[in-house]
Amino acid sequence: MRASTNFYHLVASLPYMPRTFEVERLPISRIQLQQRLKLLSDPDRRVVDQIQEFLLWDRQRPERTDEEVEREYDRLVNSIKNPLVRDMINHRMDVRTINCALRRRRLGLEPPSGVGQYVEHIRKNWRHPDFRLAREHPWIPRLHETLEAKQALDVERQLLAVTWNRWVKLAEEFYFSFETVLLYLARWEIVDRWTRLNRSAGEEKFDHLLMEVLDGHASIDR
Amino acid sequence: MEIFFVSLLGWAGVFLPTALGAIGSILGCARAGMAASGALLDVDGGYGRLVGVSALPSSQTIYGIVVTMQMNGQFSDATAAGLFSIGLLVGLALLFSAMYQGSCCASAINTTKSKPEVFGLAIAPAAIVEGFAVFAFIFALIVSGGIPGSAG
Repeated sequence: MRASTNFYHLVASLPYMPRTFEVERLPISRIQLQQRLKLLSDPDRRVVDQIQEFLLWDRQRPERTDEEVEREYDRLVNSIKNPLVRDMINHRMDVRTINCALRRRRLGLEPPSGVGQYVEHIRKNWRHPDFRLAREHPWIPRLHETLEAKQALDVERQLLAVTWNRWVKLAEEFYFSFETVLLYLARWEIVDRWTRLNRSAGEEKFDHLLMEVLDGHASIDR
Repeated sequence: MEIFFVSLLGWAGVFLPTALGAIGSILGCARAGMAASGALLDVDGGYGRLVGVSALPSSQTIYGIVVTMQMNGQFSDATAAGLFSIGLLVGLALLFSAMYQGSCCASAINTTKSKPEVFGLAIAPAAIVEGFAVFAFIFALIVSGGIPGSAG
């Protein structure tokens, strides 16, 4: 058990994070990163686990209901004390809610139930092209166009860029602190996600999702 | 009682530059040293340079010792108040300069490990901080020599 984290040691031991997430290799492997994170004190480690849990939860299983997701979100947010972690989670949820709303509207569906500060606002401004959120989120019109053009990779790139830019801007305010480590992890997660985006992995994921859907229908038929 | 108190302050003033300078150097060298040892996990060479940079904040202790030696020869009841004032203020200047120089060194180490070619530029901020410590040191020597009632 560690009494307190030596952030000078930990931050200096982490490799340089590239300026863009569009790179071919991770700056540090997952195993090495986990080893470095052992330098954290127990309370800091718990907060890092929370954020990592969220980042994994972010890739939720498709069979979860909206209610389950909402409950999980509420549980997670209520258990978090660190303001930066709350901010990070809320930002990710906002981006996901807006993305989900744009996709649902394009498909002619109802506004998403979802979680986060914009759910009600989006419902009220459902017919407006950018849900009247373009001032706070200037990336919405461009994302809307890209979605219309069915450019799946560009959509993913834009969504990752929105979050990446936010983390980069926040990271400029911290040097050798816990926040530096959290923002490093958040950016690492984006680079990890981007480097794993390739054609064969995409096809595999698509096949997997298709099989799940088909299995679901098969069980209904029975 | 009053003379005792004045003497106490005077002697404290004589030793404060060394004590506060040493505390600053401890904190500064520790910060930079921790960054250097962390950086060693991520680099394949140039270890000596990284560890060497972490020793930069030690100079404040040397400045403190020199000021203490200078003031030691000036002590009298008449100069005690002046020595205390100068000792405390120069000590604080040395303390903070060493602490923040340590932070500058830690940043320089963090930058240098991924971009070794900017080593010289990266330690420039630490050198600038050192400059302010030198100003405080020199003027402490000058002012302490001019305290009314002192031998200098």
